[in-house]
Amino acid sequence: MSKVAIILIPLVIIGVLVVGAFGIYNGLVGAQEEAKTAWAQVENQYQRRADLIPNLVETVKGYAQQEKSVLEEVTRLRSQWGEARQSGDINKSLQAAQGLEGALGRLMVVVEKYPDLKSNQNFMRLQDQLEGTENRVSVERRRFNESVLNYNKKIRTFPGALFAGLFGFERMPLFEAEQDAKKAPKVKF
Amino acid sequence: MIDRALRNRDFQRLLLAGILCLLFCLPAFGLAVPERPEGRVTDRTGSLTRNQITALERKLATFERETTNQIAVLLIPSLEGDSLEDYSIRLAEKWKIGQQGRNNGVILLIVKNDRKLRIEVGYGLEGALPDALAGTIIRNEISPRFREGQFYQGIDAGVNAVIAATKGEYKASPKRKRSQMEAWIPFLIAGAFLVFFMLAASRARRRQYHSGSSRGWTSGGGFWYGGSSGGGGGFDSGGFSGGGGDFGGGGASGTW
Repeated sequence: MSKVAIILIPLVIIGVLVVGAFGIYNGLVGAQEEAKTAWAQVENQYQRRADLIPNLVETVKGYAQQEKSVLEEVTRLRSQWGEARQSGDINKSLQAAQGLEGALGRLMVVVEKYPDLKSNQNFMRLQDQLEGTENRVSVERRRFNESVLNYNKKIRTFPGALFAGLFGFERMPLFEAEQDAKKAPKVKF
Repeated sequence: MIDRALRNRDFQRLLLAGILCLLFCLPAFGLAVPERPEGRVTDRTGSLTRNQITALERKLATFERETTNQIAVLLIPSLEGDSLEDYSIRLAEKWKIGQQGRNNGVILLIVKNDRKLRIEVGYGLEGALPDALAGTIIRNEISPRFREGQFYQGIDAGVNAVIAATKGEYKASPKRKRSQMEAWIPFLIAGAFLVFFMLAASRARRRQYHSGSSRGWTSGGGFWYGGSSGGGGGFDSGGFSGGGGDFGGGGASGTW
């Protein structure tokens, strides 16, 4: 009995530990995947916004040819974002997306000067879509930050921290914490 | 050890973490979202009569029976400085209107004193009720009536338009969920390990003592299988239940 127990008890303990380790490791992978999915959602919303721009630019052009420079800027930044996204560099694409956000904001300020445009049905619908997209961006951005916080917490606390070093789980950056959280830039009309 | 913990860099990190936490927690402490109500129509402003609420409730209940789409209406007096969109999405995340998997919920939120309203659309209905349509419904159906103080008529017209748009829409959400199998794997392995060891133990014991008293051990393995089932959300077909619908910020806002 004693011999068997001496062999078996450590084995059982090891077995339980191994299974526990699987669970922890899978938990880390799951949290990481969740954060990546959340990021993809943010990018999807940026794509959605980019898709709206040609139509928006065309509509505004019809009423406000004088505002060529803003319109060109929006178009230029849109294609810049497209290229940055293609390159796969997250920081670059983020920067471009925020530049585009700023330009869109300026465009919407300019639009205030054209009451005919503002009461145009097509423009109003575009405005709805743009507002909706901005809102989706901010929702997905918040969810992304929440999932990154969750993941970062997991890899920084015990027992996840043991595996994080071993398997190279690295901290993920939050979405522009210093600037965005405070300013929360929104295209508002 | 304590000295090391208080190293300059660690302290800075701690400080940064604290600041980050504050930044991200602050928006979460906006105006409190009410608990999910019993009924589909909740008026906290006293703008609707009991009969009007009942009529709307009945319409929405019938619509849900026919299509499973859920529509909820909430009237509140004021946002108390909170942002309409933030409040609305928090409301949506708390109430979880719409069926799980279908995400087919719509919330009509009206803030009376701020003269603001929003149609918040669940993921599954974004195709049938896109932002532009939600905006059009607000502009053409709801706002003109609200401007004349006709709250019931405005809500009724808005609800009718939402119903017309989402009738027959069953589009499931494209959101991907972690497979159930994956979650079970560790438990299965744990179970297998234990069964293996117990079998080995009982055999060894049997070999040594030729006694059959090892059954108490093996039955202990059952604890591993049974102990880990998570409670699934039950669905009660009566009244205003269901829930589990996800929202992604779709819809439109407006004023009157």
